[in-house]
Amino acid sequence: MQSSKQTQKVDSASEGFREAALFTITAIIAGFAVEWLTAGSGITIPRWPVNFLFLAVLAVSVAIVGLTLRKHPLVAWLGGIPVGLSLIVGLALLSFIGGVLPQDPAHPGTLVATLRLNGMFSSWPFAFVTLLFLFNLGLSFLWKVVPFRVANLQFMLFHGGFWIALSCGLLGSSDLQRLIIPLNEGQESSIAYEMPSERPIQLPYSIYLKDFQIDEYVPQFALYDPATDQVLEEKSKMVPEVRKGARAVWPGVATATVLEFMPDALPDKDGNPVPSKAHKGVPFARVRAEADGQPPVERWISGGGPEIKPQFLPVGSYFIVIAPGAPKAFRSHVMISGTDSERRVAVLEVNKPVDFRGWKLYQMGYDEKAGRWSTMSLVEAVNDPWLPAVYLGFFMIMAGNLLYFWKGVKKMEAA
Amino acid sequence: MTLVEFPAIAKAAIACWGAGSLLQIPARKSKPASLVSWLLMIGGTSLLVWFLVAYWITLERPPLRTLGETRLWYATLIPVVGFLVEYRWKIGWLKYYCMGLAAFFLGINIASPDVFQKALMPALQSPWFIPHVVVYLVAYVLLAASSVAGWHNVWLKFRDKSSAVSESMSHYLALLGFVLLTFGLVFGALWAKEAWGHYWTWDPKETWAFISWLAYLGYLHLVARKTKGTVLQWYLGLAFLVLLVCWFGVNYLPSAQNSVHTYSGAS
Repeated sequence: MQSSKQTQKVDSASEGFREAALFTITAIIAGFAVEWLTAGSGITIPRWPVNFLFLAVLAVSVAIVGLTLRKHPLVAWLGGIPVGLSLIVGLALLSFIGGVLPQDPAHPGTLVATLRLNGMFSSWPFAFVTLLFLFNLGLSFLWKVVPFRVANLQFMLFHGGFWIALSCGLLGSSDLQRLIIPLNEGQESSIAYEMPSERPIQLPYSIYLKDFQIDEYVPQFALYDPATDQVLEEKSKMVPEVRKGARAVWPGVATATVLEFMPDALPDKDGNPVPSKAHKGVPFARVRAEADGQPPVERWISGGGPEIKPQFLPVGSYFIVIAPGAPKAFRSHVMISGTDSERRVAVLEVNKPVDFRGWKLYQMGYDEKAGRWSTMSLVEAVNDPWLPAVYLGFFMIMAGNLLYFWKGVKKMEAA
Repeated sequence: MTLVEFPAIAKAAIACWGAGSLLQIPARKSKPASLVSWLLMIGGTSLLVWFLVAYWITLERPPLRTLGETRLWYATLIPVVGFLVEYRWKIGWLKYYCMGLAAFFLGINIASPDVFQKALMPALQSPWFIPHVVVYLVAYVLLAASSVAGWHNVWLKFRDKSSAVSESMSHYLALLGFVLLTFGLVFGALWAKEAWGHYWTWDPKETWAFISWLAYLGYLHLVARKTKGTVLQWYLGLAFLVLLVCWFGVNYLPSAQNSVHTYSGAS
């Protein structure tokens, strides 16, 4: 009795899976065939309004097919779990290829380029599988919405949110603009560059860079071995920070103590440091060091800068050196001017983008060779008109997820 | 608290777990032995919690930046899952696997210590940093436990000793893990928009996070389709391998050359 029940369970579970797997494999092969025939040209998603029209046609098709042919075995199968699961596996496999192989330009004519394995997420197989998945997901969503039942809310939010985020994220990617604006201190610019083509684009606003600043972590000092071109590990396994009174011990080799520390200083004509304005000088430290079995030595050392030579302290066959602190924060003080008289003073900083007329402006980078003395700032301007739709999808997924968690906990308690 | 003290604390935690586990043998018949056993096991984890807090204070940033730091969290949290499972389902064996896994990860950290570094690159200085990483870590911990439970259930089935309670436990661990995995993924996307300008760029780590998410989404659909238990336990056992690639393996893949998630160097 039990065995017949078990057989029934297995049968109902595997029902439709073979056809669904064949369906997905066919879509993938068809996609690769298109790539093969077009030498790996990939899919170019049309821009507004064609992408929107496509999305509308897809949504309406799902609605018509789902509502009028719901009882049809083929449609029921198309919106069922076996097809959904096979397409999930298909998406995972294609993503696996995209997650293993570098998604960079490849030599034309190679198998990777011809099948577009180096551009998996804009390839025809990925597009076919995603499209079929959206159809499947759309049908399953629709059948939970009509007839409406509050008990299905979690399903609707999760599946509906995923449909919106996936479709709008992929179809809207063609309208996404990510432009780089190089700015120099004391200058205004309204020219941005599209990457990687470096095509210049006139912006509907201009940005004046008043000041660019970098904050750094406290500099560190280390014992450098020129013979091996490496720094020795300190007793505490830390790279010691340069602070007045800081002491470092390299067991069996040397000890060092920071006697004085000037975070911003410039050397006078004798090479002795004189405190300067913040961000204008370099860190100087007076260090006393002692190599094992040798008399102590003492002098000012610095990490140097564009016009200041670095200074070291020789200790036996080693040197005590100052390494500048890693960048802690960098920011651009800017004034943004619209085509009319609108002007806005803003500070652009990493993780703190500024919105201006539908664009998000990001602090992106600076002249890394000049480091903290950089007078150039790279700003990224991003315009993504589909973002609100994608975020709606994200928040629906999270709401559905919360309900799922709640239901799961309830079931778990009952189990 | 720095990494100098770490090996001693990690070894002490492992010793506590080991001694506590051994005491579980007499604990079946003796209440005092049971009490001491639990004090030791919980004490081992408490040592790590104490180290994490003290290390966080010394670092002046959340210890969530390097792979070694994530292993430390993992080693701290996974035995907690084992203890909670015993409390909730009265299933005792999971905690041994969990403590074993935690000891293994501590062992990796002892063998290849991190460099103590306070610097946190500007992109990581975000309110999203802690929720994104912590939610992911707890998800990984739960899914690792579900995977271990899956393997154990396969073994039980092999010996004809299947347990419905044990299968139900691995399912709920996976379910909770999936919920947190989803939050981690969406939090990551929202953070990426604020820090890097776009919510999704198919960076290898993102791609693997998506694959892992799809793997568990597949599992939940198999459950919805009432697939038989053995298949599900095998699935849970194997699915964690995908997460491991996402967590550690991505760094070694050809695709990782330009990833922002390789956790190497100071930047």
